[in-house]
Amino acid sequence: MTVKPIIEIENLTHTYMKGTPMEHVALKGTNLYVEAGECIAIIGHTGSGKSTLIQHLNGLIRPESGRVVIDGEDLAKKKIDLKTLRRKVGIVFQNPEDQIFEKIIGDDIAYGPFKMGLPLKEVRERVKWAMSVVGLDFEEMKDRQTFALSGGQKRKVALAGILALKPKILVLDEPTAGLDPRSRNELLDKIKRLNKEEKLTVIFVSHNMEEVAMLADRVYVMADGKDVLSGTPKEIFTDKEKLVRHQIGTPETVQVLYRLTDLGYQVRTDAFSITEAADEIMKLFAGRKEGTEHVQRI
Amino acid sequence: MSSEFDISRNITIGQYVPTGSFIHRLDPRIKLLIFVFLVVAIALNTSYIGNAVGLILSLYLFWASKIPISYGLSGVKPAIPFIIILAVLQLLFQGQLFSGGKVFVDYGFILITSESIRLVIVSAVRFIEIIFLSSVLTLSTSTTELTHSIQSLLSPLKKMNFPVHEISLITTISIRFVPTFAIEMEKMMKAQASRGADFGSGSWWRIIQRTKEMFPIIIPLFNIALARAEDLILAMEARCYTPGGERSTYSVYKAVTKDYLILLVGLLLTLLLLFYPFPI
Repeated sequence: MTVKPIIEIENLTHTYMKGTPMEHVALKGTNLYVEAGECIAIIGHTGSGKSTLIQHLNGLIRPESGRVVIDGEDLAKKKIDLKTLRRKVGIVFQNPEDQIFEKIIGDDIAYGPFKMGLPLKEVRERVKWAMSVVGLDFEEMKDRQTFALSGGQKRKVALAGILALKPKILVLDEPTAGLDPRSRNELLDKIKRLNKEEKLTVIFVSHNMEEVAMLADRVYVMADGKDVLSGTPKEIFTDKEKLVRHQIGTPETVQVLYRLTDLGYQVRTDAFSITEAADEIMKLFAGRKEGTEHVQRI
Repeated sequence: MSSEFDISRNITIGQYVPTGSFIHRLDPRIKLLIFVFLVVAIALNTSYIGNAVGLILSLYLFWASKIPISYGLSGVKPAIPFIIILAVLQLLFQGQLFSGGKVFVDYGFILITSESIRLVIVSAVRFIEIIFLSSVLTLSTSTTELTHSIQSLLSPLKKMNFPVHEISLITTISIRFVPTFAIEMEKMMKAQASRGADFGSGSWWRIIQRTKEMFPIIIPLFNIALARAEDLILAMEARCYTPGGERSTYSVYKAVTKDYLILLVGLLLTLLLLFYPFPI
């Protein structure tokens, strides 16, 4: 493809607390290429450098060495327009509900647009749009008190606060951590729709492989400050040897399918969506008369 | 150089730099005692040579504890404005109180003499010495060690119904949470910057604007602090913490000959700084 990627990161390094006894190398030459409109998942164990990497995307951390180009702008340059960059790349941090500080939902979502210096009418429009995208009713919710919200609702408000900036690229650090299953599914659905319908480029960090399998077009695997593996979820989750080498978890469906093949059943291990996996398992029943007996063994 | 959000890096209180030097291995109670003695001695010494000795001593302690001097300097940096303001005020207004020696300027209420200049220089150096000494103490002693030794040194006061344990618990918790909140603050600044906030962009004299800019950080930080306090209460109650209960500690300190020798050296230095008639 000849399309120029919207995010180009090459050989990026970063060291925390440089020049002190607490020096810690977080990134040791990471690469990341994202094309406009893609949905990318970054996975990896704690301390593998995921959070450090995503903080480079809107210039919170400046590249120490290596190349970071976001939408044509090289962040290694001394003078860059950070404000414009941060509007273009919206980062939703872990537990974003902590960052809510206004008393009323509408005001909190409007903080970013107001800071951009937009006229009141435009701000109102953006707040309305952002609230509708995350599934909060504008008329009903805009004057509600923020502290009385549930965890899931607070997270929606925080997400709306970023979306009101109308970013081109949305970056989420463990967006569903700590949410109940229902809020989790709702949020994932919203992210998916933002990517598919609003054409936002989405990058998210996750430990939940079901999410990764469901949402991501491509997956980057980080380990020890480097990107060790990348590819479509299908490519990643079917490469058993590498999964074991990098200690990558898989969705439960894949685990079940792998166990079935280990026991000598003929199933496709790349069928990791729940319906596909169910079909694969059902095929086993159709193929045998005494199927139930075998299944019990598992 | 890496970013505008390096707060935790510049906060040295509650940080511990484990280098394993002999100063680290000293009995923390002895270390604390010597620290108190030396601070008193430096605070009372008004001679140039005496303070030079104090400065050299505090630099030596950095070297001996193998802690980079940059740590001490980063502690001094935020204090520089105070040192300057203090020096100017002393120079202008305290001449009348310390009017000995040669008179340099005598203009209205402003009286500058060699004695008042001495006061200015000595207080500035004193300030730096005390910052260095306390940096060495906190950087070479973990907070647990520090609070245990405060508790053990204050324990005689228990007889007077002084709540020694409670006080030391409060100090431990507050010191322990300084770096934690620095990290939280850093995170919060990054999160708010990502949604369009900018800090320190207004000129410094527009105090109201700059204070307003801090609201998006301070309000959430308060929430986090309260939430953490609640968690801590739960965690302590879950482990059956009872205020005022009789308790023992995991680490029991036992001073050995080496510690007493160091204490003796510290005492001698203190006496030297306090009573030796330095020529200038």
